[in-house]
Amino acid sequence: MRKIVTSVLAGVGLALACGTSVHAQDKELTIFWAEWDPANYLQELVNDYTAETGVKVTVQTTPWPDFQTKAFTEFNAHGDAYDMVVGDSQWLGAGSTQGHYVDLTDFFNQHKLGDVMAPATIKYYAEYPGGSGKYWAIPLEGDAIGWSYRKDWFEDPKEKEAFKAKYGYDLAVPTTYVQLRDIAEFFHRPDQKRYGVAIYTDNSYDAMAMGVESAIFSYGGDLGDYATYKVDGITNSKEAAAGLDMYKELYKFTPPGWGKTFFVEDNQAITGGLSAMSMNFFAFFPPLVNKATNPYADVTGFFANPAGPDGKRFAALGGQGISVVSYSKNKDEAMKFLEWFIKDETQKKWAELGGYTCSQAVLKSEAFQNATPYNKAFYDTMFMVKDFWATPEYAEVLDQLNQNIYPFVVGGKGTAQEALDKTAADWKATFTKYNRYK
Amino acid sequence: MASVALTNLDPASRAAARGWSDLTIRNMFIIPTLVFLIVFNIFPLIYSLGYSFTNFAANRSEPWQFVGLQNYRELLSDDHIWSNFVITAKYVIVSVAGQMIVGFGLALLLNRSFPMKGLITTLLLLPMMMSAAVVGLFWQLLYSPSWGPINYVFGLGDFAWLSNPDSALYAVAITDIWMWSPFVMLLSLAGLSAVPQHLYEAAAIDRASWWYTFTRITLPLVSPILLIALIFRTMEAFKTFDIAYTMTTQPTAELIAIRLYKQAFQQWDTGKSCALAYIVLIMVLAITNLYVKYLNKVKER
Amino acid sequence: MAAVRTSSEIALNRAAIVAVLIATLVFLAPIYWIASTAFKPKELAVSVPPTVLFQPEVTPFVRLFTKRVQMQKTVDPQVYEAAPWWEKRIYDGGERVLKVGKDVQLSQYPDRFMNSLIVAVISTVLAVGMGTFTAYGFSRFKIAGEADLLFFILSTRMLPPVVVAIPMFLMYRAVGLNDSHIGLIILYVAFNLSFSVWLMKGFMDEIPKEYEEAALVDGYTRMQAFFKIVLPEAATGIAATAVFCFITAWNEYAFALIMTNRRAQTAPPFIPSQIGSGLPDWTTIAAGTFLFLLPVAIFTFLLRNHLLRGVTFGAIRK
Repeated sequence: MRKIVTSVLAGVGLALACGTSVHAQDKELTIFWAEWDPANYLQELVNDYTAETGVKVTVQTTPWPDFQTKAFTEFNAHGDAYDMVVGDSQWLGAGSTQGHYVDLTDFFNQHKLGDVMAPATIKYYAEYPGGSGKYWAIPLEGDAIGWSYRKDWFEDPKEKEAFKAKYGYDLAVPTTYVQLRDIAEFFHRPDQKRYGVAIYTDNSYDAMAMGVESAIFSYGGDLGDYATYKVDGITNSKEAAAGLDMYKELYKFTPPGWGKTFFVEDNQAITGGLSAMSMNFFAFFPPLVNKATNPYADVTGFFANPAGPDGKRFAALGGQGISVVSYSKNKDEAMKFLEWFIKDETQKKWAELGGYTCSQAVLKSEAFQNATPYNKAFYDTMFMVKDFWATPEYAEVLDQLNQNIYPFVVGGKGTAQEALDKTAADWKATFTKYNRYK
Repeated sequence: MASVALTNLDPASRAAARGWSDLTIRNMFIIPTLVFLIVFNIFPLIYSLGYSFTNFAANRSEPWQFVGLQNYRELLSDDHIWSNFVITAKYVIVSVAGQMIVGFGLALLLNRSFPMKGLITTLLLLPMMMSAAVVGLFWQLLYSPSWGPINYVFGLGDFAWLSNPDSALYAVAITDIWMWSPFVMLLSLAGLSAVPQHLYEAAAIDRASWWYTFTRITLPLVSPILLIALIFRTMEAFKTFDIAYTMTTQPTAELIAIRLYKQAFQQWDTGKSCALAYIVLIMVLAITNLYVKYLNKVKER
Repeated sequence: MAAVRTSSEIALNRAAIVAVLIATLVFLAPIYWIASTAFKPKELAVSVPPTVLFQPEVTPFVRLFTKRVQMQKTVDPQVYEAAPWWEKRIYDGGERVLKVGKDVQLSQYPDRFMNSLIVAVISTVLAVGMGTFTAYGFSRFKIAGEADLLFFILSTRMLPPVVVAIPMFLMYRAVGLNDSHIGLIILYVAFNLSFSVWLMKGFMDEIPKEYEEAALVDGYTRMQAFFKIVLPEAATGIAATAVFCFITAWNEYAFALIMTNRRAQTAPPFIPSQIGSGLPDWTTIAAGTFLFLLPVAIFTFLLRNHLLRGVTFGAIRK
């Protein structure tokens, strides 16, 4: 008896010890982000900070589909597991109004970050509500939707000739969605295991929404008026429906089994030689230019999101700013880290490592724009970005959009207009519930 | 509460007087478990029952309001939720039936002596030793139309198991059957090995047909344990979250546990989620209760 | 068995054994796929047609235990030449190992694995221990409303984890048990206890009361009789119960996903996060899965004889 009791007690003691031992170490910062290359680049960057100051900084990651849930579970538990979080732009509403983020307005003004960082990144990653002059994050990673394509397929003279005969214009990098669609159709040859285009369809977080909104924005549509919360007639406008229809059209030319795809699948469509073109956030392009990871690295090209029928051209904004979590026990230490992070040298190093700095000076430099085959396209894209809702109830809004558009795009149910009508109605109900119409 | 110990000893005898009394021991053995389960299962349930009548949201600091039955009314009139329940019912039926058939079938095959029986039985248990989330992830690879071995071996070409809205749910069920048939097999094997050998021998002497022996001797004697397997698997299938969550995001395969997770931990609609949780709980309890009643009947026979 | 076996019976028996072997192969095929993927070069994990035979390598395990970052260019040949063998394998995959100064940064896998071990072992010991005591109580003493209490105990297992997760999350938030080992252990004990009581109760009922009574007459106290007579007799049932509880706790995903983050996160929510950051890396998660399967497979294999007998005794009667 005594033996058993002792061993059980020992076990509980062990658990207690393990549960608390982390607190014993001092000077440690944890940054929470999603699992992707930039997070690894950031880990590499902050290792320098550790070398300089002795403060251990860990970048903790979780897969994208769980990222939002995990972060907000911790916020809502008022947990101190993370000192800083590199949060999606859509989180600013919830992060600021519900007290999860530390107000960085003073820090922002003191360091004149408004002049240092690119305008779009401040507008979307840092400020909430729009135009208020209140800042909750430091722009850390700029990002937007872009495209990669197979140069060798595009430049094959036989293909060029066949394309011209079929469509009446030259096969080249698409500048409009209609061209993109034609090229996708042209290269879609399932019998040869070649497919037209890879797009996002994962609806567990915002992947599909980002793909769809890029098309909707370029078609002249909008998701709603972010200032007045008006959705009727905007969300379900003809333009928006045409954009969604185009996205559904592109889905026809995707590789088989393309029903739950995000960045890894889209990159694999290129490295596996499956598709002619592939949508992805710029931050996911590094594996495509390295021969060790992409056998077609030499023949992979990149282009910015194409325009809609009226020449409007937008791309969905990705990217994140870094915020200090208000429940952290190391807030002062975190602020010191941020001061280091915004230094010019740090930003330069950040870009060299593969991070997408938001620092204007670095972005404009020749060195940056020529560093990779896609940096130029990235620079261009950052001037035509638009974002999703950043309202505190955005998770609900996103889920409603997913529920309505996924069955249309992947399941082929109903029409684009019906899907968006239903979305507008759901959103209106949600915004009414949260008293957004005063 | 009756406190008589089930012993033939005279309570006043020396033997019974030594050490703690049986009453103390009984309480010491049982009460901690009951208290533990009440604190960590019943108390949370009462807590969430209260919240199910409010518009409480765990991510907000604003005070919540009592909304009466509104959450329940909204949920029961929500088409999405109903379709989640229909999907869950389909899933439970297909996957549990599959597990019972495959598991019991395997047990019938294994119920004889042959070399390395112990090793083979243990190997067959491997699927249920794995983490369901990882299993789901890997079956995604196995099902892949581009590089998955399943389509290659069976010559299914481009058939997209998980991207096809009509097949996604069944693809998940197949994975679940693969994972949990061994559990049914294990219980069935235990039941089969407990059937007295002389009954079979008697049947053999009577030259009874295989079918007669199976339906008149094997099945009736094994049915109690099959029912236990059925109860446990039905409960678990109704709760399925991890496999389906990692395998597919098809709305046609969105089980009720996934909807509940999204509502509770992505949208933070805590009050409404508690109400939904209660609806689910009542359904599981009702089904299990039916089973247990039936089980008791079978045992009495 | 009966000595008179007709040739058709023997043929039937052989056919059944062949069927068992085929079924075993079918059931093990996905596991072979995972295990073999853990030793494949990255590109062979997603080859067309699927690769069955290949030159195995341990690179996935090197990747599993290190923090790595995708390289945008191929590595400088001089740097490559100077690197140790395992680092070369990482370079071959288009990545480089992260370092603080000269120290290689390890991945979080070992921590997550340890967390799993702590949580699963302690919760199994507690659930089986409490379950054994309680089962003995129910088996040997008269208890008012025994059937109802037992159904109540079983019913706690019926709750979908997400149902319990909401109030538990709020309670844990109030007392600060989020993201702690103890919090997770409590959840798993609560989850496994019902199963443990039910299984052990069936087993205790099978142990003849006369054993203890004889001991009581011989001068043992009831507690001594329990520990010296009943427990050894119950060893088989305890082993079987432990296997089931351990498997459940070891692999639990939903609670771990919701309740733990940095400190107490176990491996099941962590392994899928290794899918890769730019391209799907099936080999590394296969390696993580393979290592994670080993302890539970070994544990089950060691207790395999108890498992079958334990289930026979425990579950058949009640």
